[in-house]
Amino acid sequence: MPFTPLAMKKIDLFMVDTDTPVAAMTLARMGVLHPQEEASPDFPLEAFPAARYQQVHHDLGLRFDKIAGYVGKPFAPATSSRENVTLEQLQELDEQLRTLWVEVSEFEEQLRRQRERIATIRQMSGSLQRFAALDLDLSRLRRRGRFLRIFVGTVPSPNLDQLRRALTLSGFLTRSFFSSEGIDHVVVFGASEQHQDVQEVLNSADFRGLTVPDEFSGSPSRLQRDLDLEVTAIKRKIEALERELDSLVEGNFETLQHARDCLVLARPYASLAGALRGKGRLVSLQGWVPARYEAEIRRRLEQNLACPFHIEFADPEPAEYSSVPSVMPRSPFLKPFQMLVRNFGIPAYREIDPTGAFALSYVLMFGMMFGDIGHGAVIAIAGLGLWKRFPAASVVAVLAGISSMGFGLVYGSLFGYEHVIEPLWMSPMQDPVRLLLLAVIWGAGFILFGNLLSIRNLWAAGQPEEALYSGKGVAGLAFYLALCLVAYRLYSAGRFGWLETLALTLPLAVIMWSHWRHSSGQLFERVLVVFIEGLEHVISNISGTLSFLRVAAFSLNHIALAAAVFAIAGMLDTPGHIVTVVLGNVFVIVLEGAIVAIQCLRLEYYEGFSRFFSGNGRAFEPLKLES
Amino acid sequence: MSGFTSQYLSTRLDLFSGRLIDYPRLVGFIDQDLERILAEVRAITGNHYDLDASGSNDVESRLIRGALEDFRVLIRPFSGNERRYLRFAIRLFELANLKLLIRGKFSGVDNAEIRRQLVDLGDFADLPLSRLVETDDPHEMLRLLETTAYAGIVRQARHVYEEQGHDLFLLDATIDRSFFIDLEQRTRFLHDEDAAFLARVMDELLDRYNLLWLLRYRFAYGLSPARSFYLLTTTGRKLNATRLMQLAKLDSIEAVIAALPEPYRGRVAGLARISDMETVMEYHALTIAADMLRTESNLVARTFSYILLREAEARFLQAVIKGKRLEFDRELIRQAVGLGF
Repeated sequence: MPFTPLAMKKIDLFMVDTDTPVAAMTLARMGVLHPQEEASPDFPLEAFPAARYQQVHHDLGLRFDKIAGYVGKPFAPATSSRENVTLEQLQELDEQLRTLWVEVSEFEEQLRRQRERIATIRQMSGSLQRFAALDLDLSRLRRRGRFLRIFVGTVPSPNLDQLRRALTLSGFLTRSFFSSEGIDHVVVFGASEQHQDVQEVLNSADFRGLTVPDEFSGSPSRLQRDLDLEVTAIKRKIEALERELDSLVEGNFETLQHARDCLVLARPYASLAGALRGKGRLVSLQGWVPARYEAEIRRRLEQNLACPFHIEFADPEPAEYSSVPSVMPRSPFLKPFQMLVRNFGIPAYREIDPTGAFALSYVLMFGMMFGDIGHGAVIAIAGLGLWKRFPAASVVAVLAGISSMGFGLVYGSLFGYEHVIEPLWMSPMQDPVRLLLLAVIWGAGFILFGNLLSIRNLWAAGQPEEALYSGKGVAGLAFYLALCLVAYRLYSAGRFGWLETLALTLPLAVIMWSHWRHSSGQLFERVLVVFIEGLEHVISNISGTLSFLRVAAFSLNHIALAAAVFAIAGMLDTPGHIVTVVLGNVFVIVLEGAIVAIQCLRLEYYEGFSRFFSGNGRAFEPLKLES
Repeated sequence: MSGFTSQYLSTRLDLFSGRLIDYPRLVGFIDQDLERILAEVRAITGNHYDLDASGSNDVESRLIRGALEDFRVLIRPFSGNERRYLRFAIRLFELANLKLLIRGKFSGVDNAEIRRQLVDLGDFADLPLSRLVETDDPHEMLRLLETTAYAGIVRQARHVYEEQGHDLFLLDATIDRSFFIDLEQRTRFLHDEDAAFLARVMDELLDRYNLLWLLRYRFAYGLSPARSFYLLTTTGRKLNATRLMQLAKLDSIEAVIAALPEPYRGRVAGLARISDMETVMEYHALTIAADMLRTESNLVARTFSYILLREAEARFLQAVIKGKRLEFDRELIRQAVGLGF
């Protein structure tokens, strides 16, 4: 069936351990195997023969990624001349990269220290600027006086109070003379005999002292020049270190390229580690493949494996449906809508993929709610403009714009003007009640279609009782049809007789009986639960249908907004009129367009998908060989 | 917070406090076998931790996960500074991971062993544990840590480690100190009433921390009074800065104890070891937190108290269960939970 995921087969492959990497590579090249890591508890093979290989591959990958960040040129794609990478080769490479990373890390640490030194000097410069106006001889600060010792420098502001108190224990005083950006510039002074103790406290407080060189006897501006020179020297050192680092990495480029090739080639076998089980030399692999590849897989394995092997392909049992991955047929046209469907969930195996119906109804509803030739054309052109950067959004916008233009023709609306072109049908404002009625009929059709899909999906998922008796099954469909009948009779004849009563109560009774069978607990609790579930079913069907009134309401709203814009424009002179009409249209396109897009999505998700689409499928993630 | 939300949170706190295991019963677990302990924990907590009878299902992680689940429920109704404060307080759990990582990396412990001991804090985790464990050397790990929310703590820890003789014990103390300073500073952004209630618990915690580390710095490490005082955290109410400065100048443990204000002097008098004093002081701090949780009405302080109590309970249970599983003797387990006296 074209609207359901591809038919899948379960694959059970038994082989000799030496052939396992070859089998992994063969299957990765085909890109059709979704490995299954969960095995039944009674599966006879228990060991994970590739676990060590996977660990080493993981470690090597981490080291490679860390070092690759320092490489300034792209790596060549992996060559497939050598296909099998042994565990020993991976270990040897891992050791090489470990050694290389130690060297790289050492450079990085040196660079960090140099950058920290620059930060310290900048703090010192900040202190010096405070002294600049004083024209003080800073060499006095360096002198170890017989009685007095002075320290000048910076401390992080949060440390200052505690430091000040602590230093009083050693007989030193602390004065902050400037504070900025979380740093305090301080002078610490006290009796010389305690200075060793004070130095340790200052170290603990992250004090960065202003170092006055021994030969120095000048003014603050002179010292500032020296500090600037030191910064320049450190920057040169940083550049030299960076060059050495680049040269180290460059000198090992071949090793890195080789490591990358090995990582790519080893990835299929390593990533199968959780799905491979073994005992002695026997190894088993389980997974899922699209049924149509059965013969091709068998042929390629026969061609590539050196030793005999045993392979089985089996259709999934109903109990296994939940673990079968869903492979959807590819359609470039539907791809953007597939992304919106995936926001809700992935179709389960054998469940109908709603993407096609979603795309059609979404585009149609957008047009119905936002019908205007001019606005639609702007959206379509804007969509085309997005093609290169956002191709998915571009397709949706172009289709929505075209739909909007189509319904613009139907309503006779052009940039909000209702009388410029003749409508193919009528303007929404001409007969709003008729439009609301049509919206409800559209909604009823939408919900009925959802009910039919739900019955089919439940049946295909091996849940026949649910498909027949539940609110999402035949009973639910019958109840909804009865609701439609009742609504029609009330609308057309104003009558509600025994036939309508019977048509409503019979399927509702079946639905409540279905809830009763699945409920548990005390009698009163069960009665209450079933009553509430039944009531909820009735209300949700009515409210769900009325929800589609918004399709008409937004088309009316669109015209009302345009009328408001024209009313304001009508009060202005010609230039003001033009500007108001242009800005008003922009406002309508951007704001109302976005609201309508969201409302359409809401109707699809809540009134459509929640009725028939489980969305609890598993994504197909095949084993692949990447370059 | 609306009246309804306050009532809801208050009821939640009452319910959760009923799951806490009181201290005498925790101490009693030391003399019981593992199955009995697990059965009692299940009975008291209504199997909140989902422990199986044999204790084979990763008990330690379940204890933490159960606590975090409670915290998630409790902090949800808070907003603004209160929420930020409580979320920061929950970092108490992550500090254990941080210390474990730093200790493990600097001591050359195998990555698999470090990973085994780390606790998954789920949404509450700020540390990229997997990347940190997989670093190849301690300096690489510290560089990575400096890009996390712990950058400030790590910078100070690195400084202490590099400048002060690679002492991992001091490194742990620095991490705790930075945490408490930050926590105390965050109380300034709370309403006065919240801050006043919190101060009753915080003061006790800070006094305990400061007294014990003052004793260690002065008499185990032989640091000067000035440096010992500086390395303490922000000060509490009874052991304020002036009092701690006086204590720092004293020359023996006995002199410090004799100069302590009541009730601390009475609590630690006669105890010879600093670790014994720590246990006694912690017990009293937790008693105050338990009183706050059960008798007061301030929701920020009650929630904070609950976090402290759950952290202490999880730490105690983990030590006992690990000891039982490794078949340690009774005395060793008592020492592990700080009951060596």
